This record gives sequence, C-alpha cells and structure tokens, in this order.
Amino acid sequence: MGILEIIIITFVKILIIVTMMLLSVSYLVYFERKISAWTQNRVGPNRVGYAGLLQPFADVFKLLLKEDIVPDAANKPIHTLAPIMALVIAFGTYAVIPIGPAVELFGYNIQLVVADVNIGILYVLALTSIGVYAITFSGWSSGSKYSLLGGVRSSAQMISYEISMGFSVAGVLLFSESLRPLDIVASQSGWMWNAIVQPIGFITFVVSAFAETNRLPFDLPEAEPELVGGYHTEYSSMKFAAFFLAEYANMIIASALIVTLYLGGWQVPYIEMAGLSAGLTALIQVGAFFVKMGALLFFFIWVRWSLPRFRYDQLMSLGWKVMFPLSLVNLIWVAVLVMLFN
Amino acid sequence: MIQKKRLKDLTLLEKLYIPEIVKGMSLTFQNMFRPAFTMEYPEVKFVPPASYRGRPVLALEENGEERCVACGLCARICPALAIEVQAAETDREKERYPEKFEINMLRCIFCGFCEDVCPEEAILMSKDYELAFSNREDAIFGKDKLLTPVSKLKDRIEFLRLYK
Amino acid sequence: MPKIIIDGKEIEFQHGQTIIQAAKDNGIDIPHFCWHPSLSVSGNCRVCLVEVEKMPKLVIACATIAADGMVVHTQSEKTLSARNAVMEFILINHPLDCPICDEAGECKLQDYTYQHSVGESRFTETKQQKDKRVELGPHVMFDGDRCISCSRCIRFCDEIAGENQLTFIKRGDRVTIVTFPGKQLDNPYSLNVTDICPVGALTNRDFRFKSRVWEMSSTKTICPGCARGCNIEMWVRSNEILRLTPRQNDNVNSYWMCDTGRLETFKFVNDESRVNGSHIRREGKLTKVGWDEVFAASVSELKSFNKDEVAFIGSAYSTVEDNFLLTKFAKSVFGSKHLDFPRQIISGSGDDILIREDKRPNSLGSELVGVKPSSNGLDFDQIMEAIDEGKIKALYVVEEDLIKLNPELENIIAKLDLLIVHASNFNNMTKFANIVFPASTYAEKNGTWVNFEGRVQRIRPAVSTFDIDRSLDGMSMSRLDKFGTEYDRWGKVKKTEARSTWRILSGLANAFGTKYKYSMAEDVFTDLAKSIDSFKDLDYDVIGELGAQLKIKTHTAKV
Repeated sequence: MGILEIIIITFVKILIIVTMMLLSVSYLVYFERKISAWTQNRVGPNRVGYAGLLQPFADVFKLLLKEDIVPDAANKPIHTLAPIMALVIAFGTYAVIPIGPAVELFGYNIQLVVADVNIGILYVLALTSIGVYAITFSGWSSGSKYSLLGGVRSSAQMISYEISMGFSVAGVLLFSESLRPLDIVASQSGWMWNAIVQPIGFITFVVSAFAETNRLPFDLPEAEPELVGGYHTEYSSMKFAAFFLAEYANMIIASALIVTLYLGGWQVPYIEMAGLSAGLTALIQVGAFFVKMGALLFFFIWVRWSLPRFRYDQLMSLGWKVMFPLSLVNLIWVAVLVMLFN
Repeated sequence: MIQKKRLKDLTLLEKLYIPEIVKGMSLTFQNMFRPAFTMEYPEVKFVPPASYRGRPVLALEENGEERCVACGLCARICPALAIEVQAAETDREKERYPEKFEINMLRCIFCGFCEDVCPEEAILMSKDYELAFSNREDAIFGKDKLLTPVSKLKDRIEFLRLYK
Repeated sequence: MPKIIIDGKEIEFQHGQTIIQAAKDNGIDIPHFCWHPSLSVSGNCRVCLVEVEKMPKLVIACATIAADGMVVHTQSEKTLSARNAVMEFILINHPLDCPICDEAGECKLQDYTYQHSVGESRFTETKQQKDKRVELGPHVMFDGDRCISCSRCIRFCDEIAGENQLTFIKRGDRVTIVTFPGKQLDNPYSLNVTDICPVGALTNRDFRFKSRVWEMSSTKTICPGCARGCNIEMWVRSNEILRLTPRQNDNVNSYWMCDTGRLETFKFVNDESRVNGSHIRREGKLTKVGWDEVFAASVSELKSFNKDEVAFIGSAYSTVEDNFLLTKFAKSVFGSKHLDFPRQIISGSGDDILIREDKRPNSLGSELVGVKPSSNGLDFDQIMEAIDEGKIKALYVVEEDLIKLNPELENIIAKLDLLIVHASNFNNMTKFANIVFPASTYAEKNGTWVNFEGRVQRIRPAVSTFDIDRSLDGMSMSRLDKFGTEYDRWGKVKKTEARSTWRILSGLANAFGTKYKYSMAEDVFTDLAKSIDSFKDLDYDVIGELGAQLKIKTHTAKV
C-alpha cells in the first residue's frame, strides 16, 4: 500500500467512525429517554417521527437555534475552548478501539480500527486524563460558583478513580503482555475473557468507568439539585450540546473499552469451529462487538435510572478505600495466575 | 463531629449494599415491561372527577337568570384577590345582581374558597383545566365566559351537597 | 359619687344615668338595638336585658336608672340565656338575606347574632312577609322584612329632625313602618336614619348596591357643605368617593349630618370635568402644559402689569394653609394690596340643628390668616367695580367660581386682560381664564378649616392624585389598595394631575425668585402657627381627629 492509499483508507475510517459516533450518541440520548420512561411507566418521546425516532434531530436543531450566551464574568477563550476540547477528546479516543478482525475489502487487508497503535491503551488513558481539563476549564472559566464547584469535584473524582482504573487495566496487561488493543483482544480467545478470569478487576473497572464518565450514581460534577448542572451551568446552545455529546460519547467509549479489555472484544467464542466463510465470520464478529457494547450501554442507562447519587464523601471513600485496594488485590491475583500458568 | 449511634449496626452484607442494589435494579427492570400510565393529552383528554377544582364558573339557571346576587363574599374570601364584583339593582325578586363579575385567571389559585363561601351555590369549580392566554386582558373572564348552565354542573353540585 | 358594680367591677356614675350609660362610659358594652345615646329610651328590643341582684326579674339596662350599690351581671348564665332567647325572637321574621343586604358588614344584628346567638333557629313556620323596596322619601329606601321595629328612625325624626314623618302601623309580628299619610321622609336630615338603623331596613338610595362596606377605605375628614364643618368619614373604593357618613363629634355635629352635605359635596371630585394638568390658553383654546412652563408663563404675564392693576381672590373652600400662602404671595411676593375672598351666605337656609347660612367651610379661617385687603386696598365688591372701570386688569382667583356665585359678574370677568385661576373642575371661570392651575379638591389634600365657632379641624386626603400617593403619604387603604397592582383592573385607578393650592403657590413664588421651602401642608401650618396669634401653639397632633378650639371671640356677625 502506498502512502496515499493509507491516507485515504484512514480518512474513510475516520469518516465512518465519526458519523457512527454522532449517530449513536444521538440515539443513545433517545434510548436513555425511552428507557427512563419505561422504568417509570411512562411513554417517553413519541411525537417527532414514528415512535419519536426523529427526536434527536429535533433536539439538535433546537440547540443549534438557541442563543449562545457567554457570561460577563467568563474567561471567553477558555470558555469556548472547553466544549471543543471535551468533544475532540471524546471522539479522538475512539481511534484505537478495534471493532472487528482484519478484513479483505476491495483487495486491501483492512484492520477495523482507525489507528492500530501499539500503545493504544496508554493512549486511551492519557486522553481520558486530558478530558478532566475540559471539565475543569469549563468550570473555572464560567465565572460561576456552581460551575467551579462542579469542575473541582470532577477533577478530584476523576483523579481518584483513575488510580483503580489504571490498576485494573494493569491486570489485563499482565495477560496480554501488550498495550496494543488488538493484542489484548487476541489474548482473550475462546472463553478466556478477562471478565471471567479476573472478575474483581472487571468490577472495579466498570465502577471506575461510571465515575470517569460522570454517570449516575457518580454524577456529582453535575448534581442538579446542588449545582444547577455543575460545570455546564453557564453553557447554552451548541457549546452545551458539545458537552452533552461528549458525555454520551464517553459512555460509548467506556463501553467499547470494557468490551475490548474484558469481554473479548469482537470475538465470539469458538466461532472458528462453525466453519463459516471468512466474510460472514467477520460480519458476525463485528455484530458481536456491537451487541456487547449495546448491552453495556443499556446497563449504564439502567443503573442511572435505578440508583441514587452518592454523597461526595461516600464517593471518595468508595474510590480510595474500596476500589483502590480491590484493584490491587486483583493485580496480585492476576500476577499469581500468570506465575502459576505461564 | 458528633457520631450518631445507630439503633443497630449494619452487617457486612448490608454495608456492601449489593443485595439492595440488585433488588433495586430488578425492580426497575421489571417496571420496564409494565404498561405506561401516560394519557396522551391533546388526543386523549382527562375527564376529572366531581371533586376536581377547575376554573370557577357562575351557575346559570334554566330560566336564563344567574344565581349570583353579587354579595361579594367570594371577592372577600379570595386569597389572591382574583374576583371583582360590581352589584346593581334589578326588578327580580332577588333585587341584587352582578352588573360586572370578573375573575382574573392569572391571579386565581383554584383554592375553591369562593365556592365554599357562596351562600347561593352560584360560583362552582368546573372541570375546565385548559387555560392558556397570550395576554393579560384575555385572562380576565367576564360574565360571558363565566356563566354556565346548571345542567353542566350537576355532578359538582351533587358532590358539594354530599361532602361540603 | 354613687357607685355601681357591673360584672364585679366597681364604677362611678352620675346621678340619673341608666345602667347602659354608666356601663358605656366605663367601656363595658351591653348589646342594644333600640337604645341610642342621643335619642330617648324606648326599651322595645329587649336585647339589653341584664341581671340585677335583688330584683326578681331581669331588667333592661337602657331603661333602668342606676342606683347606688346596685350589682349588675351582664355575663351571667341567666343574662346570656335571656339574650339568646331575645336574639332568637328577633330573628324569627328576619329574612337573613345578608348576601343581598347593603348593611352586611356594618350590621348590628349581624354582629350580635355572631356574638350572642346560638346560630340555629327552631322556627319552622313561614316567615311574616312585608313590603319591600318602599321609597319612604327621596333618599331613603325601606325594606319591611328586615326591620326589627326598634323605632330608632321614628324617634330620630321626632326628636332630632323635629318633623313627625314616620310611625309604626299594625300590631304584633305584622308591625311595620310607614310615613304619615300625605307625608314623605323628606326632612333635611333624613339620611341619618340609614346610619342609625341597626339592620338593613333603611338604606341610602344614592349608595344602594354600589359597594360592600369592606371594599372601601374610610378617611376621617370634614364636610365642606357649610360653616358648621360636620365631622365625616369619606368612603373610597378604587380612588372614587362612594359615600360620606357622619362621624361623632359632640362639639360640632354629634352623630349627624345633613342630606345636602352627604349627597352634594363629593360628586364633583369623581366628575369627568376635572382639570387634569395645567392649562394655558393658546389661540383661544386651553392647552395642557407642564408645570415649569405654566409657572414661567404666569410669572411673565403677571410681571407685565402694575402692582395696582392686579387683584387676588382667595376662597373659603381652600384650607387655612392655602389662604395663608395666598396672602403671603399676594402681599409680600407680588406686592398687591387688593386681596379678598367672596362670601356665599344664603339667608333663611340655616336652621337650629346643623345647617348654617354661610355655605363655606372656612370663612373664619380665611379671615384669620389675612385674606383681606391691606389698608387702602380694595375689597371684593370694590375689586369687581375696579375691573369694570378698567383700573384692575388682571385677576388671580383661587378655587372660586365667581360667575356661578353671581351670574352678573360674567360681563365684568370678560373685561379682564389676564385671568389666572386655580380650578378643580372646568367651570364658568375657566372659560375666560388665560391660565388654569389644576387644584386638588378637599378630598385630595391635607389641611385645616376653621368652622363658624372657631374650631380648627383637619381635612385629610382620601383620593390620591399625581401629587399625593396612597401608600407613601399614609392615606387610609382598603385591602384592594394594599395588594393591587397596575395589572389588575381595579388597580388601574383614575388619578388627576392636580396639586394643593399652597403647593401651586409656593411653586409660583419660587418662580418669582422667593424660595418657599414647604414640603407638606404641615410645614405651612407650623409656619402660620408661629406668625398668627390665633393659631398659637397649635399643630396637627393637637388638632387631632376631633379638632381644637381657637382662642378667639367668634365675632363674625355674618354667621
């Protein structure tokens, strides 16, 4: 492959992924509203389009047409930068998540990942850490006490949970012996899913993922009753929409990451034995990836509409006193396993 | 910090909260398959029971006379000062009638005190809850909008006689 | 002093007083319908029954002369049950049509039923029906059903008004009140019966169904109808005067006022013809202008005349404060000698009860503050003559319609080169005026009047104008005034852009370059109390609600 071809292929991949992300984020919002409605014996959005399916577009149009208000006390450049940062980071993270095995298309062998980076996981962790800045910036630059409190809470929370997240990932890396997402997926062939091998790590990672994405029960940065929306209190129109999209994009990434790290990625156990054609297998595997991801997203939403919000001290003590030790225990457990069976 | 003593210390299992989380999540999951309570408003309209306090109206007898004698008690009791009554003299047996009877629906709080205090059973809370205005003047209901035939208010009158 | 014990409280009384009077003087209220402090005792309502020790039966407090050492119980079980029974009897034929009745809210029967009755009637038979809506006279309407036959109205006509016009006819439960054959309840004090009627049987035809009493605010002020200066309450709703009622002042009018005062003295305040804002005549038409403009115009117009060519006319309708400032302005600021005020004395119109022949409420006050010509100045009649002869070319008239007083003056007024008037309503004078100042009426300003006996009494604002604000200036407020907003229909009240005469005059004086620093009527009064001996040591607090007697000889022979 020439350099031009690589550029074109990569460009097409980016296009597909970004479009997919935007669409799925919109519909994730739709499903969030629908599922919350069902949980509460309501109907949910049903006016725009059949069963309200066009609701996300109506929402986007509404947000686009709204006035963009920047408070007088705000630091304008940073106030503008923050939502862009949030969105770019959220979408950028997706570059290293593989959604299927390598396939032959139009005579090219194409990896179903935008960038096959050999330190992919490090890249993800790095970007999510930068994501904190977007929220902190928005909180600080708004010039509002609610935003500031939301921003401060968010950074403290993210830093705390990143530790247990990091240690959980370390467990996965011990097995895969690589930071490359494709290798991690490959290391979970058959039923050797990390979720089964290291359940404690799985649980700590999922809980940390909830905290990292600011989802309930850990949505303290937003906490409407106390902070009127937290870091995005002073945002409106498309800037608000950017935060909104980023939040849901983060959810998708978290699910994708969990699938990749713990649920065997695109792999369907023992599918090789079914003797299907390579194309069909690849299709089923891509499908499997999305089913796993969908199930996780449903879980995210389900939890949100079931559990109440933590108190801040509870959040911190859970992070430091429970999740952090548990992830350490997991690390030791994996190390022992590796020592015994390797 | 003052540590409040619990009546009973939580066991480890209770401290973990996991059974409670599972219980809660199973409840919400089950709920997803239950039918919705939603009434889809403009197509399906809620018909309130007789005890409902919608917008206050004035009873109009079958012979075309209003019951109201403009005593002004409703205007006096109204905590929101929504009602304005101007009395005048008529040749009828009840020599007093409301020349002007206005309820400012922007002020009305639907407490039903006016109905409670009315000595003539003339002001009644109807079932009408569809009240939207585009300007302040439209929200002031005069006799033209308030007078409602008694036949339409039968179940409210019955309810009042039973429970008031 | 003999003593009597009522409800365990030992009180002193004057010899010859009845129990109810002795109790009233000491703040003990014994319920009563037919008894009235200034009417004779008839003792027919029986609601004032009290228990007196050593008397075999209950006695009526209104007709029992108190004796030394008497022990009276007004709250004993026996008294209360008797009172209860009497209330039940009185309510037997009463229609209980309070929702329709105008008296509701100030009804003695309503109050006593609430306080002294069990709240239930055992009477299941048909109530006795009587005539309703009987026009007893030009001003009074009678409702036979509501009447409890206390006879107060009959006694009022006989004893106070001095004309026998009303009487009972029939007997028992059919008893009712009628006028004597060929007569009407048309004495000049007839409307007082509506005040003393303890129920809604007698109502004021002018006020009938206009408003419930609790919707109005009431202001203690003075009637401008004649030199008597009857104390009144002015009842206002939505900034509109609806009725006047007499207010007790034993030194002036007792409990009463005349029908003319009650009906004729307030309607011009609500009238459409009010002067709203200052006006200057331009090209033959009165044009509304701002205050600065009208002051500047007045100054330049007045300065174009010699001091001897200008005369000033005050008014006995204006307050003492207004006239004081007019005197100051005319004599010191402008420097004219010609200053007087017109009198309106209708001989034969007075009587021995209240009505005076002098139809101005403040004639004495105007004279006392110096509204009279300086030495070798001209008085009112001479001023008119001088205008006719062309010696006086400009006239400044405060709150008087001279042409209405004397239609012959029209030709004389027409001769003037400059006529400046203060007027509350457009009238005969404004037709000729070059400049019209909008004057507040007596219902819109603070001030004092001096009645024919030299009693100085306060008038208070009851109607708000652009100049005086209901809540900020401490005027009395009804519930609607307190909580209304400009978005409520009843909150959008009509307000006139008018000022008190003293305020207009001090504005004019300032335009002339003499700084007057009065911010309210009380300041003017404080100033005049310093400079005029008759008003020495007086202020608004001393005058209070019932007025104060000036230390002067009431020499005014003109009545």
